Amino acid sequence: MNVRRFSILITLVLLAAACGPGGTTGATGTPQPSGGAAASTLVWYADTSDLISLDPAVAYEFTGVLLAHNAYETLVKFEGADLSTVKPALAQSWDIKDSGSTWDVTFKLRSGAKFASGNPITADDVVYSFQRVLKLNKSPAFLFTDIAQIKDTSIKATDPSTVVISLPKTASPQGFLAVLTFTIGSVVDSKEVKAKESGGDSGSTYLLDHSLGSGAYVIDHWTKNSEVLLKANSQYGGSPKPALSGVLVKHVPESTNQQFALEKGDADIARNLGAQQIAALQGKQGVVTTTGNSLQLVYVGMNVTVKPLDNVNVREALRTAIDYDGIVKDLFKGGAKKVQDIVPAGLAGYNESTPFQADVNKAKSLLQQAGQTAITLELLVPTGPAPGGVAWADLAAKLQSDWKNIGVTVNIKQTTQADLLGTYRAQKGQLVMILWGPDFPDPDANVGPFTDYAAKSIAFRNGWDDKTIAAKGRDAALITDTAKRAAAYKDITDYVLHNGPYAVLYQPTEPFGLRSNVKGFAWSPMDWTDFAAISK
Amino acid sequence: MRFLGFLLRRVVGIAAVMIGVSVITFAISHLIPADPVAAALGDHATESQIAQFRAEYRLDRPLPEQYVIYVTGILHGDLGKSIRTRRSVAQDLADSFPATLELSFAALAIAILVGIPAGVWSAVFRGRLPDHVVRVASLVGGSIPVFWLGLILIGLGYYQLGWFPGGGRLDLFVAPPPSRTGLYVIDSVLSGDLEALRSSLAHLVLPALTLGYFSTAVIARMTRSSMLEVLGQDYIRTARAKGLHERLVVSRHGLRNALIPTVTIIGLTFGSLLSGAVLTETIFSWPGLGRYATASAVSLDFPAVLGVTLLAAVVYPVANLAVDIAYYWLDPRTQHG
Repeated sequence: MNVRRFSILITLVLLAAACGPGGTTGATGTPQPSGGAAASTLVWYADTSDLISLDPAVAYEFTGVLLAHNAYETLVKFEGADLSTVKPALAQSWDIKDSGSTWDVTFKLRSGAKFASGNPITADDVVYSFQRVLKLNKSPAFLFTDIAQIKDTSIKATDPSTVVISLPKTASPQGFLAVLTFTIGSVVDSKEVKAKESGGDSGSTYLLDHSLGSGAYVIDHWTKNSEVLLKANSQYGGSPKPALSGVLVKHVPESTNQQFALEKGDADIARNLGAQQIAALQGKQGVVTTTGNSLQLVYVGMNVTVKPLDNVNVREALRTAIDYDGIVKDLFKGGAKKVQDIVPAGLAGYNESTPFQADVNKAKSLLQQAGQTAITLELLVPTGPAPGGVAWADLAAKLQSDWKNIGVTVNIKQTTQADLLGTYRAQKGQLVMILWGPDFPDPDANVGPFTDYAAKSIAFRNGWDDKTIAAKGRDAALITDTAKRAAAYKDITDYVLHNGPYAVLYQPTEPFGLRSNVKGFAWSPMDWTDFAAISK
Repeated sequence: MRFLGFLLRRVVGIAAVMIGVSVITFAISHLIPADPVAAALGDHATESQIAQFRAEYRLDRPLPEQYVIYVTGILHGDLGKSIRTRRSVAQDLADSFPATLELSFAALAIAILVGIPAGVWSAVFRGRLPDHVVRVASLVGGSIPVFWLGLILIGLGYYQLGWFPGGGRLDLFVAPPPSRTGLYVIDSVLSGDLEALRSSLAHLVLPALTLGYFSTAVIARMTRSSMLEVLGQDYIRTARAKGLHERLVVSRHGLRNALIPTVTIIGLTFGSLLSGAVLTETIFSWPGLGRYATASAVSLDFPAVLGVTLLAAVVYPVANLAVDIAYYWLDPRTQHG
């Protein structure tokens, strides 16, 4: 056999192998737009590997929530970056009434509102949607069951445009309204969803990669690991109306690639740029960079069940030794804001006080007071980049060197975030560096987990059982007077600052790269944007 | 008949490998001290959610029972449900594997079409300039990190020159061809979709070069050394003595014999291409198996990891089988042996 015959054979073998699997790729492959689509479609480059489901009762990951937010409407919403005032959405008005044993929250629906299918939106849809969340009981369901403490029977339609929801007196009505602004409060088209039900799944198989809502956009298709296309919903009754006919979310995991695509004009907005890419984009023609606020906090938890972290002076020494300015200015270069209390800037109850900054002498004397000279601890760190775009490992190395200055030896142990959380939740960490984002935009969403041991969240993970501060936190959540509530949170955050088991390092900001013709982009600290407001 | 018997033995062998692999990976996935429940349900899992999850994925059953359920499922073509994507693993693999397969074939094609001629050229001009060029290029190819090479190629081919697209399998607004094999190049040929064909070929160039450079280097070096050995044989001297043209000596008498070890390398290379595609896929936003495997492993998605492992366990022996079949045709001695 000669070479030519050999190469033909190889080709045949390869072809035969190629025909083996397949036939199913692009099962969701609805044809994409063509022709002039590029001009009227926003191209959004992002790492969407966290995308699991587009179902608002299931989605609890950044990408899923971003998309569901744009495909569904909620009863109430926050507008833009202002997370202090709840505004009308599907509900044109609401009323909170103290009925003795419960809080009764009554919502009046906007008249004439329609789903993308053309079906009218009724109170029954709201009841179905909320009961569906409880029935499916997926990741975000705790917002209903634990925070709002509602049950199936708490949600009632009293007429086609009125919904009454009863909360127990232990739940905060303000907190509940904040919960309803999140995607879990989305209203689904119950008629259509019921038609898509199979095997008692409440339509969750269908809604995993489709939408049945009334938001500004509808999901056109989701090609797994590749892209999601949204198309403008002509029935959308909210405002603003979608300026562009489509939004194409491309999965591009590599930041450098996002940067290149933005400069070349292939991408309109790049979502996951690191400090390096942002620096490279400065001064480039046709491109602008901007930042969005986030409600996350990056902190080090200090497990007080591990000696000598049980000693408040040791914890204060560790906090005092850290060079926060260096982290914010040199490491993150603007990708982070110096915040040291447990409530992030942007929420009511944020405490501006930042008393710590690399005071080696003070930290050493605190250690002396604690009777500690040689301390060795393990610092648990996730893999990959920290919020703000610097590698967790680099941040850990910075802390390690800061603490070395006061004679504290820290061994860095890096694991996946999933592994780290396993250890942390089991109260088995020593020092654990991780991020926290509130589950709903209310100070209680941070103060509760950070102070209440019984909530089995952050305070528990660090073995910090301070019953007085936990009780103060629970009381503050229920205060309805804004000024009194702010004062209560000031008191709590001041105390935690010096007595808690935390060193809050920074509050990240989100960097974005935009083509300079992109207008109307605003990032909400809720970790989403309204695509409808964006034009180009 | 002899060939059929040979084929049958190999298929039985593949089945045995798969049973072994399934036992081992299943055992490992349950022995490592990590909790998939915590990874899947996140920060706020309530007791009832955890119980519901454990029941849904049958993590509440005894381990042997879990294995029996798993194997029974596989025999029915059911690889279980992914914890991360909440879809059937078989569906996930069917979505992502063709992309990796297409990329690997393209990389292999480059490796063969460039590697073999380069190796022959290098051997024929031993010690002279062409030989030095090939040897240096293959040394670089063997030692350059894939991630770096990928970024360089994107930076040059996409960002600077703008000759090639920067990532993905198709241009932004080009629809994928109707799916028959999941390989866009083949599907677009089958459906006569020239736009998709052009786009998918253009998108293959940079990632295939990135992925294929290492294999090209290996194949070139292998071909060179076996060519050198063959060209020193008596029958080559005889062929030359007969007055045969040098080109025929090299191609007909030399290369055919020198190819046998190269084919072995090609088979091994193909397996490593599939598994080595992870980084290339990340850089080029290629929606393939490598990224699926990484994401699954990081989120402790054991059903998915098991599915990928089983698939790999099939691919390696199949690649070897292809090599053996190639031997069978290439080397008449194996047909009688």
